[in-house]
Amino acid sequence: MHDQAKPSAQAPSASRYFTWLFFLGALVFALGAGLVGDVFFLRLATEALIFGGLALSVDLLLGRVGLLPLGQALFFGLGAYVSALVLKEWHNSFWLSVTVSLVASALAGLVGGIVAIRAKGVYFALISFGLAQVVSKVVFNTRDLGASDGIIGVPGAAIFPGLTSADPIGFFLVTLATIFGLYCGLTYLMETPFGRQLSAIRTNEHRIPFLGFDPWRYKLLAFVVAACIAGLSGALYPMLRGFVSPELMFFQVSGNAVINVIVGGTGTLIGSLYGSTLLTGLKSVVGSFTAHHQIVIGLLFVVVVIVFPRGLIGYLSPLLQRRLSFRHATGRGGQ
Amino acid sequence: MKTKLMTTLIAATFTVGAQAQTGPIRVGVVTPLSGTYAGIGQQVKWGLDLAAKEINGGGGVMGRQIELIYEDEEANPAVAVQKAEKLFQVGKVDFLTGTVNSGSTLAVGQVAERNNRLIATTVSFADSITADKCSANVFRVNARAGMQSAALADWMASTKPNANVFYLGPDYEMGRSTVAAFKSAAESKGAKTVGEVFAPLDNKDYSPFFGQMRSARPTVIYTSVAGNDTVRLFTQMAEFGLNRNVQVVGASGTVTSQNLKAIGSAADGFVTGVGYSTSIDSAENKKFVASFEAANKAQPDLYGADSYGVLFFYKAAVEKAKSTDTDKVRTAMRGLQWATPQGIKTMRAGDHQAMQDMYAVKVNGGKFEIVGKVAAATAIGPDACTKF
Repeated sequence: MHDQAKPSAQAPSASRYFTWLFFLGALVFALGAGLVGDVFFLRLATEALIFGGLALSVDLLLGRVGLLPLGQALFFGLGAYVSALVLKEWHNSFWLSVTVSLVASALAGLVGGIVAIRAKGVYFALISFGLAQVVSKVVFNTRDLGASDGIIGVPGAAIFPGLTSADPIGFFLVTLATIFGLYCGLTYLMETPFGRQLSAIRTNEHRIPFLGFDPWRYKLLAFVVAACIAGLSGALYPMLRGFVSPELMFFQVSGNAVINVIVGGTGTLIGSLYGSTLLTGLKSVVGSFTAHHQIVIGLLFVVVVIVFPRGLIGYLSPLLQRRLSFRHATGRGGQ
Repeated sequence: MKTKLMTTLIAATFTVGAQAQTGPIRVGVVTPLSGTYAGIGQQVKWGLDLAAKEINGGGGVMGRQIELIYEDEEANPAVAVQKAEKLFQVGKVDFLTGTVNSGSTLAVGQVAERNNRLIATTVSFADSITADKCSANVFRVNARAGMQSAALADWMASTKPNANVFYLGPDYEMGRSTVAAFKSAAESKGAKTVGEVFAPLDNKDYSPFFGQMRSARPTVIYTSVAGNDTVRLFTQMAEFGLNRNVQVVGASGTVTSQNLKAIGSAADGFVTGVGYSTSIDSAENKKFVASFEAANKAQPDLYGADSYGVLFFYKAAVEKAKSTDTDKVRTAMRGLQWATPQGIKTMRAGDHQAMQDMYAVKVNGGKFEIVGKVAAATAIGPDACTKF
């Protein structure tokens, strides 16, 4: 699913270009939006980043371990509910609610992982789907959690003295920094022996025991890390929108995250952020022109899968890489 | 380059917004146009389109035309808030309506608070919207669940005094709260509870509950199941002869025009409390039904009627305030009386809940007939809003 052409020793890596393009582009966007005093686009972009974080966690499982999670919204929604409850009932501190949400997602990821990781392929997909369905229905029917209405009136989170999540540009930058941190942490993790174990599991899980490793343990750890990333992203949602509802755990959210990853480029990590930004923006724009935006998104998905089976970044990255390597090689030849 | 384009785009939308002060009055509609609730969204759209056409044909609001801007909320609060924010920020709408499920209405109400605009729901039933979760920026022009229960309980008390009531609800939060609300309304009017069961949602076979129902010897059976569950429950009850000598009543969503055909004659005799019926005998309603049918080739239901009425509510408020300014319009809306197909409605100032006459309707040969009427002041119940 992913075999990035390894750059020759000195040539700059194409995926790094795309990473810088994304985060610098986001900063320039924030600057521009701040200059004209925009609110809507900033908050829409913040939402795209938040759902990008969820897609990142899906890409870790789908692109790096080869597990298709159809219920990742479970951890996203869990993080959102825990964060909303902490902010509303306990203390409106950003750091406190993020920490509590992280701990809760890690524990839920451990429990969910022990149940789901034993299965493979389509069975894993179905179990993760089932877990999310069960939890979302329980939340949907629990009056203390607002049942089908969800929880409204979540106050803005105090991040630093003088900055709350109600400030569009400030919270956009905080979200951007959070997602950047998650992305960097994850790319670093992929370079460690742990990351290589995951690659090996994806390629041929049955051979791992012969190398003296237990694949189950690595898959469980990857599942917990993915749960934490999804939960942390979810924790930012109520800070942005001021409410949570059971729909955040529904299949639509899990399914959209998978689509974001596949459109952006499975296994590229940065592709999931591109995918989320692209589709969130597209949905908002297309939705104004037609009620049949689902058809447009569906068609786009089909076209991408047929024309760019590796997704946008999966398609563009090798092209750029070839150019970079060529220029690098000729540049060196001229010296 | 990309950002430059973006900046121009954003700047362009702002210029459009600035012009809107003298152009048409923009009304945003965030409603489900796709998915499970698309049928309700369709009625909302038909009602609003008809009202806008009539208002614009008659010279608009203070000489300004009404322009409706639709966004699909997919009956998902997370989508609804994003679309509402877009309409407020980019579309520069003066007023917003259309939300269907109560989760969306509550969440969009918050967006309205943050943007200092007003919204009104024409569909959501949940009592909380104009009670403990009320908002100074949210109005409701349709009847809430409590008013429907009150109308039904009143009819029951007058035709079956001190009835023995058996309750059968779907086993989820909304089903349980609907049963609880009606139970307290009925018991306050002297009804006795003889039994209560909750069947799973999407239940295929209701006969396991029938023994318990029969031995409780009820004179009235209340149910709040909906959709295809009603079809199965009613046909099975008819097969087992359970509805003989028993009055079956239920929530307003139990029997609707959507499942009435499938239930067939087993629905005959069913009574519910509603805020609208096409058979309301008034000149305004007859005219409304005729023009609605002419425009849409379909009958209006309560959603269509209340959505039609909301634009006249906004028109009356703006004309009273002589402005579209949020604070002035809000003041004008409080205590406002306006004409709708259901007759004159009054917006209660204390909780932003519209007061209206409520009806008990009975199914007879595939049609809803009005069998009882409860005055607005009796049906509405106490003001439980403490936020403003």
